[in-house]
Amino acid sequence: MNSNIWVLMSADSVALATTLILAALGALFTERSGVLNLGIEGILLTSAITSFIAADSSGSIWLGLVVGSLLGAVLAGIHAVLAVTLRANQIVSGLALVIFGTGLANFLGKPYEGKNIETKILPLSFGPLTDIPVVGPVLFGQDPVTYFTIALAVGASWYLFRTRPGLELRATGDDPATVDAQGLKVSSIRIRYTLAGGAMVGLGGSWLMLAESAAWHQAATTNGIGWIALALVVFASWRPIRLIAGAILFGFTLQLPFTLQAENITFIPQAFLQMVPYAVTLISLIALSRPGSSNALGAPRALGTPFVRDER
Amino acid sequence: MNLPFRLAFEQRTETPRRLAVMVPLLSVLAAIVAGGIFLFATGYSPFETYSNMLSDGFFSSTGITDTLGLSTVLICTGIAAAFAFQMNLYNIGGEGQLYLGMIGGAWAGLFFGDRLPGFVMIPVVLLVGAACGALWIALPAFVRARLGTSEIVTTLLLTYIGASLVNHFIYRAGSYFRAPNTLFPQGRQVPDSAMLSPLGDTTMYPTFFLVTVLAVFLWWVVRRTEFGYRIQVISDSPRAARYAGISAQRTTVQVMMISGALSGLGGATLIVGTFGRLDPGIVLLGYGYAGIVIAALARNNMAAIIVSGILFAGLRTGGDKLQISTDTPIHIGVMLQGAILLFALGGEAFRRYRVKVVRMQTATAQGAAQ
Amino acid sequence: MSNTSSEVAKGPHHSGGAAPSALSARNITKRFPGVLANDNVDFDVRPGEVHTLLGENGAGKSTLAAMLCGLYQPDSGTIARNGAPVVLSSPRAGLSHGIAMVHQHFRLVERFTVAENVVLGSRDLSYTLKRAELNDRVAEVAERYGLPVDPSATVGDLSVGQRQRVEIVKALYQGAEILLLDEPTAVLVPAEVEKLFENVHAMTATGKSIVFISHKLGEVVEISDRVTVLRNGRVTGHVSGRGSADTRELARLMVGRDIDLAVQRASHATGHEVLQIRDLSLTVNGIDVLSNISFNVHEGEMVGIAGVAGNGQKELADTIAGLVSPTSGSVSIGGSMSTDRGPIAARELGLAYVPEDRLGMGLVPSMSILDNLLLTRDRDTVVDRASVKPEANRLIDQFEIKANGPEHLARKLSGGNAQKVLLARELSGGRTATKLLVVCSPTRGLDVGAIETVRRLLDDARSAGQAILLISEDLDEIMSLADRILVLYRGAIVHETTGESAQLTTVGAAMAGLTQEVQQ
Repeated sequence: MNSNIWVLMSADSVALATTLILAALGALFTERSGVLNLGIEGILLTSAITSFIAADSSGSIWLGLVVGSLLGAVLAGIHAVLAVTLRANQIVSGLALVIFGTGLANFLGKPYEGKNIETKILPLSFGPLTDIPVVGPVLFGQDPVTYFTIALAVGASWYLFRTRPGLELRATGDDPATVDAQGLKVSSIRIRYTLAGGAMVGLGGSWLMLAESAAWHQAATTNGIGWIALALVVFASWRPIRLIAGAILFGFTLQLPFTLQAENITFIPQAFLQMVPYAVTLISLIALSRPGSSNALGAPRALGTPFVRDER
Repeated sequence: MNLPFRLAFEQRTETPRRLAVMVPLLSVLAAIVAGGIFLFATGYSPFETYSNMLSDGFFSSTGITDTLGLSTVLICTGIAAAFAFQMNLYNIGGEGQLYLGMIGGAWAGLFFGDRLPGFVMIPVVLLVGAACGALWIALPAFVRARLGTSEIVTTLLLTYIGASLVNHFIYRAGSYFRAPNTLFPQGRQVPDSAMLSPLGDTTMYPTFFLVTVLAVFLWWVVRRTEFGYRIQVISDSPRAARYAGISAQRTTVQVMMISGALSGLGGATLIVGTFGRLDPGIVLLGYGYAGIVIAALARNNMAAIIVSGILFAGLRTGGDKLQISTDTPIHIGVMLQGAILLFALGGEAFRRYRVKVVRMQTATAQGAAQ
Repeated sequence: MSNTSSEVAKGPHHSGGAAPSALSARNITKRFPGVLANDNVDFDVRPGEVHTLLGENGAGKSTLAAMLCGLYQPDSGTIARNGAPVVLSSPRAGLSHGIAMVHQHFRLVERFTVAENVVLGSRDLSYTLKRAELNDRVAEVAERYGLPVDPSATVGDLSVGQRQRVEIVKALYQGAEILLLDEPTAVLVPAEVEKLFENVHAMTATGKSIVFISHKLGEVVEISDRVTVLRNGRVTGHVSGRGSADTRELARLMVGRDIDLAVQRASHATGHEVLQIRDLSLTVNGIDVLSNISFNVHEGEMVGIAGVAGNGQKELADTIAGLVSPTSGSVSIGGSMSTDRGPIAARELGLAYVPEDRLGMGLVPSMSILDNLLLTRDRDTVVDRASVKPEANRLIDQFEIKANGPEHLARKLSGGNAQKVLLARELSGGRTATKLLVVCSPTRGLDVGAIETVRRLLDDARSAGQAILLISEDLDEIMSLADRILVLYRGAIVHETTGESAQLTTVGAAMAGLTQEVQQ
C-alpha cells in the first residue's frame, strides 16, 4: 500500500481534529460551569452557513470566522438564558436549539446550496519544513486556525488549573451552593462560559465551512460532528490536553471514507466507513463508563442541574 | 454588574390549574409572534404564511386528513420519547429506532409478503418493526442500566449509524431492499398483503386509530398499574426505589426497550401506510426528532401527546405545502417548531417557580430607623 | 441561680453604656411563605464574647443568623456593626464587615484541596495560583488559632470534625472578626467538642466574637458568656452563661412549658429473640465499614446504637434492612435468615425500616400519603388504591398526622408529620405484621412537640411488644429511651451497657474510640 496514504490520513486527521477540538473545548468550558449544552450540532451548522455568507459577500475569510463565532455565542446565549436564568430543563433546551439551529441554517443556506466558496483558508507555509518526510505535512502543513486551536487547548488547560478564574469555574460546576456562599455569582459565571463556549463552537463550525467543506450541503455539512465532540469531552475527562489526543483519533476515523475513496480503495462499502466514527465513539464511551455513578469519571458534579438557591 | 434588584426563584409546591394551561398556550403564541417578526424581517408576509399554513394544515378537506395521517407516526415517536423521558431517560435516538423499524418492517413485508395473508401480514410487519426498534436501543439501554453510560449520546450515535444503514440498503447494488430495474436507486415496494389501504381517498390510514388507542393505553399503564407505579417511584426518587426493593436497573431497561419499540412501530406504520417501502428520504424527514419536541410540549403526558402530535403534524403539513402555495421556504416550519419549544421551555420556568423581583436594601433606607 | 432578662443589656446597639457592640440587630422581622420566622428580634454580641442563640428546631435562630451574616435580608429592622448601621446585602457584604458563618451543612467543594477551599472567593487572590505559597498562607492562619489542617489534603477525604476546622480556618482567613457557628457540636464527639471550645477561647482571646446557634442545652451553657433564647421567632429571654444558668429555666424559655423529655422506662417483660446479628462485616472499596458486629434484639426491647455520624450507622441499618449484602456474617429476623435476600424478603419476615432520610428515601416526595403507604406493600398488577383508602384515613387519625387526607402530597408535609407517616406505615405492617422496627435518627430536625410525640410512639410500640432497634446520633435520646445501649465506633461495637446504668462519660468516651481507659 502506498506509504504516502498514512501521511495523508494523519495530516487530514489533525485538520479535522480542529473542528472537534474547538467544538469540544466550547462544550468543555460550558460543562465545567455546570451547564449542559446539547445544541452544539445546531450551533455548528448555523455558524457554518453564516460564516460562509459573510466570507462570500465580503471576500474576507477572517470576517467569516468572526461572524461565525459571534453567532455561536448568540445561539448559546439563548440556551444560557433558558438554562441558567429560567432554570429550564437543559437537555430539552439544547435539543430545541439543535432543531431551531438546523432550521435556521437551512433557511439561510437555501440560496447557497451547492455553491462553492471562492477563497478557502490556506495552510500556512513553513517552507522546507513541510518537506520533511512523514512528520512534515502533518506538523507543518496545517492552516493558522489549526495551530491556534492547539494553542487554545493548551492555554485552556493552564487557565483551568492554574488561575483563579479557573478555580472558580471548576467550583461552579462541582458545587454551586458553595460558590454562592462565597459571594460569587453563579448565574453570571455560567452565562459567561456558556457564551464563550458557544463562540468556540462557532469558530469550529466556521472553520469547517471555510477550510474543509467549502460548500453548503445542509445538515450533511457537519454530519453529527457536534455529537462526537460532546462524547469527546467525556472521553477526555473534561481535561483540555486530553481533548487533543482524542480529537486526532476521532478525526482519523472521520477522514477515512474520503481518503480511501480518493485512493480508490473500495473493498469496504462506503456506508460502513461512514459508520466508523460513530461506532468508535460509542465504544469508547461505553469503555469509559464507571458503574455505580451516572456521571463519567471527572464529570462536574452539578452538570445539568439548575442552581436554585435554597431560599428557606 | 450590580443591579439594585435580583430575581428570586421560589419553587412552587403546587401549580394553579389555570397557569398549567395558560403557560403552554401563551408560549406557543409568543413563538408565533416571534416567527411573524422574523418572517417580516426577512421579506416574507407573516399573514400570508400563517394563513396558508393553517388552511393547508387544518382547515381544508385534504388538510385535516393529511394532518391526521402524518400524526400517526408523530404520535408514535412522541409517546416513545415521552415514555422514556418521564423516567429521566433521554432517549433521543428515536429517529434511528424509527429507521430500524422501517428497515425491519420492509424486510418482513418483502420476506413474508407473498406467503401470508393480509390480516396476518399487517401485524407481523408492525411487530417486526417494533422489535427492530427495540433491538436498536438495546445496547444503550443495557449500558445505561449497568454502567451508567449516558443514553443521550449513545442513542444519538446509533441514529447516525442507522442512517448509514438505510443508505447502504438502498444504494448498494443488488440490495434486497432496492427496487430492481430503476434508474435512480429507490426502495422495493412491499407486496400488497403487507399494505393497508387508506381511508377513502385521504392519506390517513387505520393505523391512526391503533396509535391513539396505544397512547391512551400507555397513559393508563403509567397511572394505574404496578409497572407505572414503579416508574413513578424511580423517576422521582431512586433512593426510595432502592429502599422499597424496586430494581431501577430492570425497570430502566424495560422502559427504554418499550420506548425503542414504539419508535420502531412508528417506522413500521410507514411501511404499511404512507411509504410502503424503505425510502432513503426518511433520513431527511426528522420524524424521530419531532417526537421529542412533541413529548416535551405535552410534558410527557401520553394522552396530551395525541393533541400535541396532531398540532405538530398540522404545522408540518401546512409548512410543507408552503413551498408550493407561497414562496416561503419550508425551513420556516422547522424553525417554528424549534422556536415553540424554546418558548415553551421559558414558560415552564414561570409554571414551576414563582419569580419575584427582590429589591436590595440601600444603606440610606436603613439608617433612618435609628 | 438564674439571671433574667432585666439584668442584661439595656439596648441592643450599645450595651450598658460601654463601647458599642461588635454586631447588633434590632427589631428584626423576617417572613417566609406561610411562616413568620423572626418577629421583632433584638440581638447583639460584644468583642471577645461568646453569645449563644438557643432555641428548638424551627424557632428562627438559623434565620436570624443568616441575616446577621448577609445570607438573607430582613424584611424590617436594622443591623449595626460597631454601632454604625450597615446593610448586609450578601454574604460577601457580610464578609467585608468581618462577619462569617460556618454552616451546619458545610459549604466545601469535596474535590478541591483544603487550601483551594479556603481561598475560593477571597478578594486578594492573585490571577495565577501558586500552590506552595497558598498552602503556606493557609497553614499560617490555621496555626495561629490552633486549628491544625493539611492544606494539600483533599476535602473529600477528611472527617466531619476536620472539615469543620477547615470551615473555621476559611472564615478566619477571609478576615472574619465575628464568627457564627451553626450547630457546631451536632457532628462532634465529646472530645472533639472540647477541642472546639479550646479553639473558641483562642479566638475570643484575640477579640473575636463567636455566636453559637444551638438547640443543645448542656454544652451551650458551659461555653457561653450570654444566652439568648428564641421561641416561635421571638426572643423569650436573655440569660448569663458560664455555668451559672439554670438548665431547667433555659428549657422553659425554649419551649414555654415544663417538659420532661426523659421517658420513664416502664418495666416490662421481653420475649423471644427477633433479630440476630452474627459477625456482620461489610467492606467497601477496601475500607471496613462494619467489623464483626454481633447482637440481638428481643420482643418488647429497645436496643439503642449510639455513635457519632459516619461510623457505620447508615450501613448497618441498610444491611439489616436487606438493601446491602454484607461481606460476611448473617442477619436473621424472626428466626429466619434474611442475609443476601433483599429488602422485600426482609419485610416479609417482619422487618420495618424508618430510614434517616425521610423524604428522599422513606417517602416519595411527589406521591400522596396513600401512594406512599403502598410503597412497602405488595401491589397488584393493577394497583388497587381504593381498598387502601380506609386504612390510610384510619392511620392519619391514629397518628395525628396533619394533612388534608390521604391525597396530601408527601413533600408538603412538615418534618414531624412526614416522620409520623413513616412510623404509621412501618408500624402497621405490610406484607406481614411488623416484628422488628429499625429506626434511624427519628427526631432529628423536629420541633419539641414532634419529638415528644415520636418518642412516645416508639415507647408505646415497645410496650406493646415490638422489638425496636434505635440508631441515633442523639446520645440523650438513646440514654432516655433504650433498654440496652451499644456504641458503634468505626464500624465495630466497642461498648455495651444497659439503659439504667449507662454513664455519659463512659459512653461518650466510647463514641470517641476511647474504651477501657475510663474509670468506673
